[in-house]
Amino acid sequence: MEPLKLTIDGREVTTVKGKTVIEAAAEAGIDIPHYCYHPKLPIAGNCRMCLVEIEKMPRLQIACNTQVNEGMAVQTQSPKVLEARRAVMEFLLVNHPLDCPICDQAGECRLQDYYMAHDLKASRFEERKEHDYKREIFGPHVVFDGERCINCTRCVRFLQAVTRTEELTVVDRGDHSTIALFPDRVLDNPLSANVVDICPVGALTDRDFRFKVRVWYLKDTPSICPGCSTGCNITIGAYQNRIARFKPRVNEEVNSHWICDEGRYCFHRLTEVERLTSPLIRQEGGLVPTDWETALQAALSGLSAGAPLAGVISGRNTNEEAFLFARLMRRISSEAALEVFYQERPLTEVEKILKSPDRSPNFRGAREMGVISNGGFDSWLGQLIEGKFRGAYIVGEDLLSALPEGEKIKSALARLSFLVVQDSHLTATAELAHVVLPATNFAEKEGTYTNREGRVQKLNAALVPPEGALQDWEIFARMQREAGDRVSYSTPGQIFQTIANEVPRYGGLSYLRIGEQGAQPSDQT
Amino acid sequence: MEKILLRNVDIPDSHTLAVYKSRGGYRALEKVLRAMSPEQLIEEVKASGLRGRGGAGFPAGMKWSFVPKDSPKPKYVICNADESEPGTFKDRLLMERDPHAILEGTILAAYAIRSHTAFIYIRGELAFGSKVLQGAIDEAAQAGYLGKNILGSGYDLDLILHRGAGAYICGEETGLLSSLEGGRGWPKVKPPFPATHGLFGCPTVVNNVETLASLPWIIDQGAARYAAIGTEKSKGTKLFSVSGHISKPGVYEVEMGYPFKRFLEEDCGGVPNGRKLKGVIPGGSSMPVLRGDELESVRMDYESMQAAGTLLGSGGVIVMDESTCMVKAAWNVARFYAHESCGQCTPCREGCHWMEKIFGRIENGQGEKGDLDLVLSISGNITGNTICPFGDAAAWPATAFVKKYREEFEAHITQKKCVVSSA
Repeated sequence: MEPLKLTIDGREVTTVKGKTVIEAAAEAGIDIPHYCYHPKLPIAGNCRMCLVEIEKMPRLQIACNTQVNEGMAVQTQSPKVLEARRAVMEFLLVNHPLDCPICDQAGECRLQDYYMAHDLKASRFEERKEHDYKREIFGPHVVFDGERCINCTRCVRFLQAVTRTEELTVVDRGDHSTIALFPDRVLDNPLSANVVDICPVGALTDRDFRFKVRVWYLKDTPSICPGCSTGCNITIGAYQNRIARFKPRVNEEVNSHWICDEGRYCFHRLTEVERLTSPLIRQEGGLVPTDWETALQAALSGLSAGAPLAGVISGRNTNEEAFLFARLMRRISSEAALEVFYQERPLTEVEKILKSPDRSPNFRGAREMGVISNGGFDSWLGQLIEGKFRGAYIVGEDLLSALPEGEKIKSALARLSFLVVQDSHLTATAELAHVVLPATNFAEKEGTYTNREGRVQKLNAALVPPEGALQDWEIFARMQREAGDRVSYSTPGQIFQTIANEVPRYGGLSYLRIGEQGAQPSDQT
Repeated sequence: MEKILLRNVDIPDSHTLAVYKSRGGYRALEKVLRAMSPEQLIEEVKASGLRGRGGAGFPAGMKWSFVPKDSPKPKYVICNADESEPGTFKDRLLMERDPHAILEGTILAAYAIRSHTAFIYIRGELAFGSKVLQGAIDEAAQAGYLGKNILGSGYDLDLILHRGAGAYICGEETGLLSSLEGGRGWPKVKPPFPATHGLFGCPTVVNNVETLASLPWIIDQGAARYAAIGTEKSKGTKLFSVSGHISKPGVYEVEMGYPFKRFLEEDCGGVPNGRKLKGVIPGGSSMPVLRGDELESVRMDYESMQAAGTLLGSGGVIVMDESTCMVKAAWNVARFYAHESCGQCTPCREGCHWMEKIFGRIENGQGEKGDLDLVLSISGNITGNTICPFGDAAAWPATAFVKKYREEFEAHITQKKCVVSSA
């Protein structure tokens, strides 16, 4: 990497040979406006928004395709550049419908942002606008509005370079150019909805999200996708305490700029359920509501009398929860067989770009927290079905519905002397329990997940849990107190500090310093 | 003047190998394969001063010398036979009447850069030309001028004729490459340039038909003889396609530097029907128009045309007499470019059609005050800001028509109708 110096707007910038002007500028904190350029896609150079003035070059040059040279002098704010930028803005809006009031992109639209920043003039265009495709369904998740499209081809290039599925292309010429599906194709690859995220305007919108809410009303929370153990970084957009959407959050160590469709929409399945708002206890005639005190005492005494004891926790439970769960269960029975729910499915080549074969985002972390037994989850499940256990504590997974062995599990659970189920809603598994404890889902939790690669990443609570439910860690802590231990945690951060002290691989990590990009423990000194 | 490019076209059966050979054809190739290295050939062409006849006028030998010698990739030579600039039909004449000259030139160019695969990319509409060219390729291959071990020299070359699907932009060097690769005819963002990253990412030279057809004579007769023709910077002869309001339309071979006015009045017989010359586009529709009173000192070479504010371009001379409505002419040209804009980059995609709409309004009596300055602003915003030269090609004529015939445009606007009674 040969270092070199150039000036951008008079500022000296140091970078390396091979970088483009737009990259060097970005490194120096100078944002050169652009539409078609995307750091993860091949250069197209078609929007012409990033034209800059370079000393000794007669014409303006596009910053995205111009490599830096030693001593190069770049102007991004000269009168010539500002005029070219304004001209590009004017051209882009010539045939644009200006339907911002009904456009989902409004509020996060480059056309709006750059119009404010670089144009701010009334259009001189008084001719009839050209019309284009409206409401074209490209696939299960993506809908196209050709009139809003600026033909930047980011979507086309994403499908060429990232998924290599090539569903979309450009058809027709001139100002009739438009994005279209190839004949007999559907935009339904496992990463399809990323084209919505990279579309800089409102041309591609998300069929799941559109018309739900104006984006400026969303409460954005950085978190981790609960779909699988890849641990893609996401932003949860919530409105009125419900999740409106997931958006990928850039993390080059994990998911780059993308998330998969399954992960993107998994919040429906995981959060849109009828919530439990009170503990339930089995009495003659079935499960009836009770108070926490009664429920926890019943659970503890039932489990204490239930050896040989089994415990399983969801892969969506955090490290902090898993750590306390392991402690509690071993406190009740040192021989307790503990496992993390784990199940693999085959993945296609395109799925493998991001997805892991499991649906347990924190299976690795939970095991590292001590939720682990000889032989793994399958062996644990076999023992359960064979009737090796008398008591069981099932957290966050509906084993009956999630596994093909549902019927066998059902009869095994029915034979148990005591079953505690802890979940956000009354699952088929919970209906068999003696005690049901209402807990929270991934979006209501704070804590950490450890992904398949061992990277520790932070979840943040995007939603407020319903009245009557408790955080999983709090339930474990209260039960441990019920058992007579002194437990004084009041936040997941405090639990993490104990983990850092006690779990060797996590030594040296600090909850506060994990940050929004996560931390790889081995990187820490 | 000795004809170089049109030396064979009037001979009966000039398209056949037999006639071509009887006129000295393939002598240059034999000479090169027997006695010249590729480097010597490049030097010879450099010495001739031959400049690319596709429009840009870039020195041909220099273009070849940019191809890296040590590249492990295959190298390609492409004969650009997509001639599609309105008012230009000179390459077509060569393709139909002297195809072997094009072939021989292409083989020479391929040898110069050590290419073993060459293409002729011919405009799809030229069905007859492609038939003639394919016939010539078959004959040449049969006679050992193409294929393995050409004339026993050990040099191999395959020549493939490819018919385009019909788009003006595929005549643009990199648009042609995209099309030939099987993609949309979209010009490529430069750098990298075709000399290093051309067809399928390999070193490539694209030369115009006329450029290549000049080579056999240059090699056969010697660079010095060629360089003695023309002006200091514009060497040799050039073909001009003359159309419009002119007594003798057709293809003319002219020595570079020939007086333009004399050419129109004497060689081409002037404007017919006793009318006056109103304007002439000298280099194909994308070049700025010259008013009838601007021709006095203009000569037919690259430098003189540039000094007059236009360009030699493809040599497509379009003559317009006083009965021509210049608003309508501008509209017609703008409509062509709006239709042919590939739509890839913003200024051209949106600007071309916008200008067309404004010209259309003015011609139809709906022009408004401010329209002319708006057109000049739009064309100015396109110029120099696009991926390929198409943007300039659309903007230059629009600017020139408005600037040079502003009074006529203004009369259309104030009188709300076309003010030129067309005859």
